[in-house]
Amino acid sequence: MSALHVPVESMTFANGLRVVVSPDAAAPLATVGVYYNIGFRLEPRGRSGFAHLFEHMMFQGSANAGKMVHIRLINASGGVLNGSTHYDVTNYFEAVPSNALERVLWLESDRMRALKVDDENLRNQRDVVKEEVRVNVLNQPYGGFPWLDLPPVAYRNWPNAHNFYGDFADLDAATLADVQAFFKTYYAPNNAVLLILGDVKPADAFALARRYFEDIPSNSAPPRADVREAPQVEERRGTVEEKFGTLPALAIGYHAPERRTVDWCAAAMLDQALHGGRAGRVYRRLVLEKQIAVDTEGGIHYPMGDVFDYNGPTQLVTRAYYKPECSAEQTIAEFDAAIREVQEKGVGADELAQVKVKFRSDYFSQLEGGHGSSVPRYGLMHYLACFTLFDNDPNLVNTILDGFLAVTPEQVQGVAQKYLVPHNRAIVIRQPAGQGAGR
Amino acid sequence: MSAAIPALSAERAVVWPQRTRAKFANGLEVVLVESHTIPKFTAELLFRSGDAAALREAPGLAEMAATVVRTGTASRPSRRIEEDLRRMGAGLSASAGADSSVISFAGLSEFAPDLLGLVADLAQNASFPADEFERERRQKLEEVKIERTTPGFLAGEQLRRVLFGSHPYSVVAPTEEEVQAYRREQLVDFYRQHYHPGNALLIAVGDFSAARMLEQVEKAFGSWRAGKSTPSQNPAPPALNGRRVYLVHMPGTVQAQVLVGNLAITRKHPDWLRLALANNIYGGAFNSRLVVNIREQKGYTYSPRSTVHSLREHGFFSVHAAVCNEVTAASLTEIFYELDRIRALPVGDEELADARNYMSGVFSLGLGTQDGLAGQLATVYLNELPEDYLEKYRDRVRALTVGDVLAAARKYFDSANAQIVVVGDRAHVGEQAALFGAVEVYDPQGNRL
Repeated sequence: MSALHVPVESMTFANGLRVVVSPDAAAPLATVGVYYNIGFRLEPRGRSGFAHLFEHMMFQGSANAGKMVHIRLINASGGVLNGSTHYDVTNYFEAVPSNALERVLWLESDRMRALKVDDENLRNQRDVVKEEVRVNVLNQPYGGFPWLDLPPVAYRNWPNAHNFYGDFADLDAATLADVQAFFKTYYAPNNAVLLILGDVKPADAFALARRYFEDIPSNSAPPRADVREAPQVEERRGTVEEKFGTLPALAIGYHAPERRTVDWCAAAMLDQALHGGRAGRVYRRLVLEKQIAVDTEGGIHYPMGDVFDYNGPTQLVTRAYYKPECSAEQTIAEFDAAIREVQEKGVGADELAQVKVKFRSDYFSQLEGGHGSSVPRYGLMHYLACFTLFDNDPNLVNTILDGFLAVTPEQVQGVAQKYLVPHNRAIVIRQPAGQGAGR
Repeated sequence: MSAAIPALSAERAVVWPQRTRAKFANGLEVVLVESHTIPKFTAELLFRSGDAAALREAPGLAEMAATVVRTGTASRPSRRIEEDLRRMGAGLSASAGADSSVISFAGLSEFAPDLLGLVADLAQNASFPADEFERERRQKLEEVKIERTTPGFLAGEQLRRVLFGSHPYSVVAPTEEEVQAYRREQLVDFYRQHYHPGNALLIAVGDFSAARMLEQVEKAFGSWRAGKSTPSQNPAPPALNGRRVYLVHMPGTVQAQVLVGNLAITRKHPDWLRLALANNIYGGAFNSRLVVNIREQKGYTYSPRSTVHSLREHGFFSVHAAVCNEVTAASLTEIFYELDRIRALPVGDEELADARNYMSGVFSLGLGTQDGLAGQLATVYLNELPEDYLEKYRDRVRALTVGDVLAAARKYFDSANAQIVVVGDRAHVGEQAALFGAVEVYDPQGNRL
């Protein structure tokens, strides 16, 4: 069985910044990431969408690099850059020829040290974010489904349940003072990890990191939102109108086992057995055999991430687009039959063996790419960051597979019985406008 | 901390990996490249025939054939194929574009012989089971309905229709009626005519020894029976004089999808890199004029970009932006202002140097992943570019001048004759669109209103 060992070195500076380096000189390329331990789940109440709006503000200028300077310098160095907001982290990353590494670190340190933005920048990016919401959600068939539709039905605690992209009224209410306060609270070095990957010697990487980041002052630890959910006692349901699309769709989410437990590992194997491509049980039954649905997909923390990149409650989600002549109840009944089969008969030893090979293979691909081919090692960067911020152990990247590969058929059956029960789930139906709720 | 921007350090040479090439007696071309990033490999089995080759028979036929290819062979039913793939840790997809059909696959290197064997089985012995065909046809029918509720798709479909006229590139997807009319025998015929080794190219990149991999490829594909394709002759696209506006009316939309374009050149044309550089400066990068103007200065849109598209016989240039309804005319004004500016005035030296560095640097990022390299190799070999294309690319980009950009912009950013597509609610954007030329209004099904 092939394995992959990734070299990982890490240290913590006096200001609390954690630095993780993973060298690989095969090509003259470097990938740099800065991850802050703040995501849309943790944003302030009454400021829905703020974490994401703030992510945009981080590209608007810092003390020594004004508006467009970050973007221009990275592009002019032959590289690409972006940022993204997740449930529990926000990241900023660059993929560049390795001769630009020092420049990248200078830029990232400059905006960790001092954001320099004004009201005009805020107005501009508020407009840009609104167009982003329109193009991705309001003006697209199935926009936001189910990542924006499921949380308000599945959860009761505001941090998990609110509109992550933001209500326009909340976006409008955001002020420059909010921006600077958010920066001060959450963007301190002690709430971040810096990742340097690729064509660099670890000693050089740490020295450069020290030069640019070590004297950035730390702050007191930010308040941590209480993201716990009260236990659910009955099935939850919701309906959302589909404005453009022609097919009804539904999403089913079960609260997933706690991260880093045996049940969590077993749930990941169960997920692969259910959702792993066309061989998965859900696709096979709903699309191939019963032909009720035209497509199904799913996963743990789907579709915003995967089994590793969250830190709090999440769900095992299935999304199905089904035929207009079928009802939601028929679709759910067939889905339930697929689940019941696992609960009653378990998964076969051969099936579990296949699922483990696929899980291992997919994990390798994530480490190498994970963001198309334009950002080498994005996935490695992402997992190193999550394992550092959530688990305080970047080396998990080399050992985390072991727990999944040790799962037994009995454990898979056990988590199916324990977690995939109606009172632990939420269902959202996306119903095309003008159609009744199933015929 | 210093306020000075650190200079770039000395560049390490970009070294492209050696290609191992072979052509088997049956005509199959093979390109193998070692890349040991992860213990996997990725591959594409490409056929030089796509939807354009089958348009007269049925629009979208190559895509439909590719969709059904994976659902059964003489010896493997659908479920066995999918479970065999999972057993090898493999992923596989089959699809078609205008010019080619492709079976893309990736898996763990330890299972390479088995995976090659499975793909060879699909390429030679696909059985097109009648029930699988019926199921996939129904799914395709729902897919084409949803496509025509998607503003970006509708804009692209309309622009291709306008730019290519009676050339097969004018059709990007079938209608519902055309999908209804598909017959299984049409798929089988397409497969027989086009899925043969003389029409194929196999590219594999990954963690293997090229010599050993070549043996495995030969074992899997060496006995594939040779075939013959006849290239089709296609009519020329129309010459379009003057701007025209095509409004696709989608009631209830809260944004206008704007797409502006004109015919340009293919990747084999000697001006291709000049045009690509001009495009990067105009709107092809985050740090480009158009993005700075209508996103970072004016906040009209989230992700405006311009693109140069190369198909086998023709190429085209396009600019797209999803903009707030109220600024549809304002956005078009800026799109044309920036087109006219880059046509009228030479770019600055620093702007030129930045863009050259961007193009040559980003090109090298392809070295970082097996997928990235495979994509670059497919570009080279499908377009029959020179053998040293990868090695020479960065130097050729770095030698481009201010004059090259100006000449390319003047020749290929055809501002005066650009065709304008707006997908939106005509009640909100109709009058604004009419400011830019005579308007034809269509519904999402392509019917003139």
